[in-house]
Amino acid sequence: MRDREIDQVLNQAAQARHDVDPALLDRIASSIGSSLGPVRPLPPTWALTGALFLVCAAVALAGAARSGFYGIQKLGVFERTLIFPTLGILIWLAAMTFVSQMIPGSRRRVTPGTLLWVGSLALVAVFAVLFRDYRTDHFVSQGVICLAAGLLHAIPAGFASWLLLRRGFAVNAISAGLVAGTLAGLAGVTMLELHCPNLQTLHVMLWHTAVIPVSGAAGAFLAWLLRYRAGSGAHERSASE
Amino acid sequence: MNPDSDLQMLMARYQQGDLTAATALIHRLSAQLHRFFVVQLASRSDADDLLQETWLRIHEARHTYRAGEPLLPWLYAIARHIRVDHYRKARRTIAREEGLEGIPEVAAPPAGSGKTPGLEALLAPLPESQREVIEMLKVAGMSLEEVARATSSSVGSVKQKAHRAYEKLREQLSGMGQSKARTGGPS
Repeated sequence: MRDREIDQVLNQAAQARHDVDPALLDRIASSIGSSLGPVRPLPPTWALTGALFLVCAAVALAGAARSGFYGIQKLGVFERTLIFPTLGILIWLAAMTFVSQMIPGSRRRVTPGTLLWVGSLALVAVFAVLFRDYRTDHFVSQGVICLAAGLLHAIPAGFASWLLLRRGFAVNAISAGLVAGTLAGLAGVTMLELHCPNLQTLHVMLWHTAVIPVSGAAGAFLAWLLRYRAGSGAHERSASE
Repeated sequence: MNPDSDLQMLMARYQQGDLTAATALIHRLSAQLHRFFVVQLASRSDADDLLQETWLRIHEARHTYRAGEPLLPWLYAIARHIRVDHYRKARRTIAREEGLEGIPEVAAPPAGSGKTPGLEALLAPLPESQREVIEMLKVAGMSLEEVARATSSSVGSVKQKAHRAYEKLREQLSGMGQSKARTGGPS
């Protein structure tokens, strides 16, 4: 049997009438009509992406301004010109992915999971190329401080991003949470690069980059929790009715 | 006029708060959305609930539709998510109630009235992901690019699923043709 013949069978089957109860359609129309009003369409994708980018930059700069720009002062010109543009590109990509998560059926250039791992590995590679100090002084104690500082700055970045795009997410909330966490984590890493004067290779590669997956996982978990609670609430409501 | 641009116009008017446009959209698109749920082996009453839920979600998210963009991928992305959510909830409920009532029966796919089997019966043996791709391509008349958008996947992956679905359908239809030939029925 050829593809054309299968096409014919499918087309014939697809043309068969499929009726829906008209009373159901009237019920749907009336329930929608009761809350129908004009809505403000979303701003263009570039505007939303730009706004998210600015939120992340603002959080990173504010955090570094409060704690001191010791990191960027210690970095050489070559290191600065490689680290910050890489972070900028990753933040822009994460912001674009976040916006596409908000709009159902939008074109996906990269999935949230791929973005998280590719972004983290890209940063690890950049740090591995740039830094040659392999000492591990106070590896855990200083590392935990950096991880905590990065995550603390990821919280306001994630919250502000969520506020900015709160009108969306009709589809996959967990993916949206994952990419929101990744974006916020990138803001946290940017703050660390501006602030942290510890340029030991393993410290930067592990503790600075770890902010991204930890923040991404936290975002996905939070979204799952919210969805689960909303689902449980609906289940309890329907059980009590 | 291109049917999709007609739908896009109705959607734009719906966003402006026009009830006539909203009602027209509901009447024009509900049958194919309902069929989308039935093809995914939902019972008719489940499909009714899912349709209602889908329109409520569409209503809540109507501001996220961008004028000028194809409407069907946007719409089907929402419908698909509602279906996946329903499937997860059903699994959770079954897990809770297991041992008390057993697993609820899935509706039997209705047979077609003519010589060819109905779409639901025809697609029933296919895996879920292939079924939804074929349904979007053949019933909704979406392009490969539009199906890729609705299913959050790549065009290559949609092509692969369609190809595999056609392979399975070929086996199934050839088998049916042979059994009809053996019993002397029309092939």
